[in-house]
Amino acid sequence: MARVYVSSVINGRSDRVWARVRDFNGLPTWHPGIAESRIESGEPSDKIGCVRDFRLRNGDRIREKLLGLSDFELFCTYSILESPMGVENYVATLRLTPITDGERTFAEWTAEFDCPPEREAELVSSIGGGVFQGGFDALKRQFGG
Amino acid sequence: MIRIVRSTIIDAPTDRVWALLRDFNGHDRWHPAVAKSEIERGQSSDKLGCVRHFYLRDGSELRERLLTLSDLEQSFSYCLLDTPVPLFNYVAHVRLAPVTDGNRTFWEWRCSFATRAGAEAEMTRMVGEDIYDAGFAAIRSRLTASSPTEGRA
Repeated sequence: MARVYVSSVINGRSDRVWARVRDFNGLPTWHPGIAESRIESGEPSDKIGCVRDFRLRNGDRIREKLLGLSDFELFCTYSILESPMGVENYVATLRLTPITDGERTFAEWTAEFDCPPEREAELVSSIGGGVFQGGFDALKRQFGG
Repeated sequence: MIRIVRSTIIDAPTDRVWALLRDFNGHDRWHPAVAKSEIERGQSSDKLGCVRHFYLRDGSELRERLLTLSDLEQSFSYCLLDTPVPLFNYVAHVRLAPVTDGNRTFWEWRCSFATRAGAEAEMTRMVGEDIYDAGFAAIRSRLTASSPTEGRA
């Protein structure tokens, strides 16, 4: 099982950052790698079990299922149903935690998945360094640092 | 039940912060409120269930038991056994997490406790400021000072 862990500090209150990332259908509004997204079957994007079907800027199409969402603990957990990445049993969580001595947020994005051993390093790098860090870098810009 | 959560970012790698915090008997070497501390029965300070018996600078005498210690999650929890102030069922949890895009450390210190009627504000202030905030400040100045030394071992 491969594991990815990326974390960062966003210069905004956690409720404001959460408002930005909470929408399971909202990746195109804040993540620069995502071109478009829709929720299947016309379900609301905060209905646990809903599926998002989205397209990256490079054209790849991915379907992911919402497994858990908490407005109390500020986390979102999802799995990949279909993707061209060649991963199995992929489960990821994006979690926010307030930093109480300033209006900042500690953001963590983790993933676990199975893949052929020879592809693990490349996948960990593209998921962690590309998708997750790319998302955090965008949030840092949007919240001013 | 009163709950307190305090958190901060320390500009030092998580391993360096953990090296200081991990020692359940080491708080008298870094926390400004703690004058001296020892582990009862000669036990090792990383033996789960050990009790630290310590004195604050104001002379208060306290005992706390180690409930959780994890080198994997870089966290520990403990409870108060004896204290001269009205803190009842006090359980605290400390955890560190790396900030991977800056080699810094997220540090969270949280607790829950009960107290007697009328003492809520004073106990909340004492724990949150005199213990947690003061602890953050002490570790921050120690690890981010110009000198790279770790101080006493």
